[in-house]
Amino acid sequence: MSSALRKEQNRTIGALLIPALAVIIVFTTVPALTTLSYALFSWEGFQRSTFVGFENFQKLFAYPYLDQLIAALRHNTTAFVVIMTFQTSLGLLFAYAMFRVRRGLRFYRVVVFLPVIFSLVVVGYLWQSLFDPYYGPVNQIIAGIGFPELAKPWLGDTSTALPTLMLINLWRWVGFPAIVFLAGLNAVNSEYIEAARIDGASEGQIFRRIIFPLLAPSLTIITVLTFIGAYEWFDLPFVIGGSNGSPAGATDTLALMFYRLSFGSIDSGANNVGVGSALGVLIFTLVGLGAAFGSALLRKREVEQ
Amino acid sequence: MKISKTRGLVAALFAAVTVVAPGASIASANTEITFWSWRTEDKAFYENQMRLFEAKNPGITVKFTPYLNTEYNAIVATALTAGKGPDVIQMRPYGGMANLSDAGNFMPLTTADVPALKKLPVGILAGAQGYKDKKQYGLPYAVSALGVMYNPDILEKAGVRALPQTWAQLQIAFEKVKKAGFLPLGNAGGNGPALEQLHATIGPTFYGGTAFFNDVVAGKKTFTDKGYVASLKAVADLAKWMPANYQGIDYNTARGLFANEKAAFYIGGNYEIGYFRSLNPSITVGWFPAPKATAGAKRYVGTWADGAYAINSKTTQKVAALKLINFLGTKEFGQALVDEIAFIPTAPYVKINDPAVKEINRWRTTLGTPFLNVVGFRFESPTSSSILQPGFQKLIVGGTTPEQLAKDVQTAVASWYAPQKGKS
Repeated sequence: MSSALRKEQNRTIGALLIPALAVIIVFTTVPALTTLSYALFSWEGFQRSTFVGFENFQKLFAYPYLDQLIAALRHNTTAFVVIMTFQTSLGLLFAYAMFRVRRGLRFYRVVVFLPVIFSLVVVGYLWQSLFDPYYGPVNQIIAGIGFPELAKPWLGDTSTALPTLMLINLWRWVGFPAIVFLAGLNAVNSEYIEAARIDGASEGQIFRRIIFPLLAPSLTIITVLTFIGAYEWFDLPFVIGGSNGSPAGATDTLALMFYRLSFGSIDSGANNVGVGSALGVLIFTLVGLGAAFGSALLRKREVEQ
Repeated sequence: MKISKTRGLVAALFAAVTVVAPGASIASANTEITFWSWRTEDKAFYENQMRLFEAKNPGITVKFTPYLNTEYNAIVATALTAGKGPDVIQMRPYGGMANLSDAGNFMPLTTADVPALKKLPVGILAGAQGYKDKKQYGLPYAVSALGVMYNPDILEKAGVRALPQTWAQLQIAFEKVKKAGFLPLGNAGGNGPALEQLHATIGPTFYGGTAFFNDVVAGKKTFTDKGYVASLKAVADLAKWMPANYQGIDYNTARGLFANEKAAFYIGGNYEIGYFRSLNPSITVGWFPAPKATAGAKRYVGTWADGAYAINSKTTQKVAALKLINFLGTKEFGQALVDEIAFIPTAPYVKINDPAVKEINRWRTTLGTPFLNVVGFRFESPTSSSILQPGFQKLIVGGTTPEQLAKDVQTAVASWYAPQKGKS
């Protein structure tokens, strides 16, 4: 290729990149840098006051914010581990079942994916009423089948609120990894599977030794997206537990804490944009670095077909 | 040619000025002022009142725009910070908008401009003052009061003949109601702010009401005071009278238990009565002030300003805006507030016809004490409320102790409130 042609090509590529780049700069880079600058000032309500250096970060790492930060971080991490373990495994199981099913694939695909397209606010209220300790059918069923002592206030007890929330999250989201894995399974070259079968490999061996390794690219995507989703978890906890992570902060997350600090809670007053921004910086550093390292690490383990 | 060009230019300029600033060019004929609020539910009420105002003030029209409650603060803050916003603003009380006052967004009001201010008590006026400069920026329009609401029919069936005067008598009444097969208390733990209001109702008699409020505001006493710890414990002690699985019962379900006549008592603010009646129009709601801690203690009714009306400091319609503020301070407007939307107006000489509201207001004027967190400690983050709301949820299930919660509140407040700095 001549250098003139190459230059021409580079220019075209550059021109095509501009719109996407502009969007990223305007909506991601600039807000991120602005947040960083906000974190270095003290604030009176929504008005920027004096430069205070890293004082907002110091405040974030002291009582009472530190306690909330540790609890929120623990909840986010729990959510990541649990969602990754159960939701992803179940998604893979559904995908494999749909991959092997002989009839009605379209039906199963719709059923598994349907909750993903429901409005999250509706999902939140629906499950909240299902779990209502007074009128909800969940507890009535539990009591009805002879275990009244297990009819707990699922979303109101500090020990069960987060697990219940993760269960709702699983119901709502499991279709997403299922569809991604199904696409991955369909991309696996069927000749490998046939060859293995001719060599006498069992169903389990085929899944473990051939299909699963070839699904690695799908797993990378799901892992990275689950990581980002879990550490920026906001919508479902907000709909169910409110901005304070009710009960008693048991469902608090980093994003809820950020929202509360930056905009103030209507019921408990004053905001603190400075400390909120410091937390914002912490969240995007954590999520950005985690996602970058995670995907780099996982990419290395992928095998070529 | 030249002349016609200049003429054309002048005509265009004139047209531009009239289009851009219609208010300025025809001010003498008609002045439009804008008025923002968070009370979307009261839109019809306010619009009706604005028509009455316009009838009395020919030449002034008012455009009333309510915004969603939860987004109101952000909308107002953004508009005012950008130098825009309406002429007249419904202002959140105390810490709700004090930071906007301190930043010079509202016009200071004098008693010469707004004579109605002279008639308001100090604690209510404080609801619309700057946190730093203590200037008056708004005219508080209504007050809220906390107390114990009861269902007279259930009490009669349970054999509770007299209303409880003391904490011990209240426990006996709860016991009787329970034996009669009713739920003693409708309050539950699913909502932090509702628990905070519960504490603000029953707590003052334990910590010593207004005297303690003044001492803690002045830095003479702290939240770790024995009386304050006892007030927190009282909330924990009420848990056993709440419905089963109270931890998970949300605000609306809890209020519904009282409204649908399953629970005999509900502890909270007068503003709940409207909600009870909307769910069950035939309910009779009785009201009495929170009982005293011991036979020798005093009773208190927690109270605070519900909001205020303020003027944008950058308004170009100061005269008209002041006329509107003064209208909102009249007896007629106050009368409409109580008759039509069951608020307790700050305006004097208002005749309260609703028996429940009348009773509440009678006790409020004699036993009133400031809502400690709202009036005193919502000005900077972490507010006392932000610690107490999740704290109460922990406390009622035994996840923390009253002593620890008191310590947590003290540490949080001492981190920003100068008179409490360094105290524990």
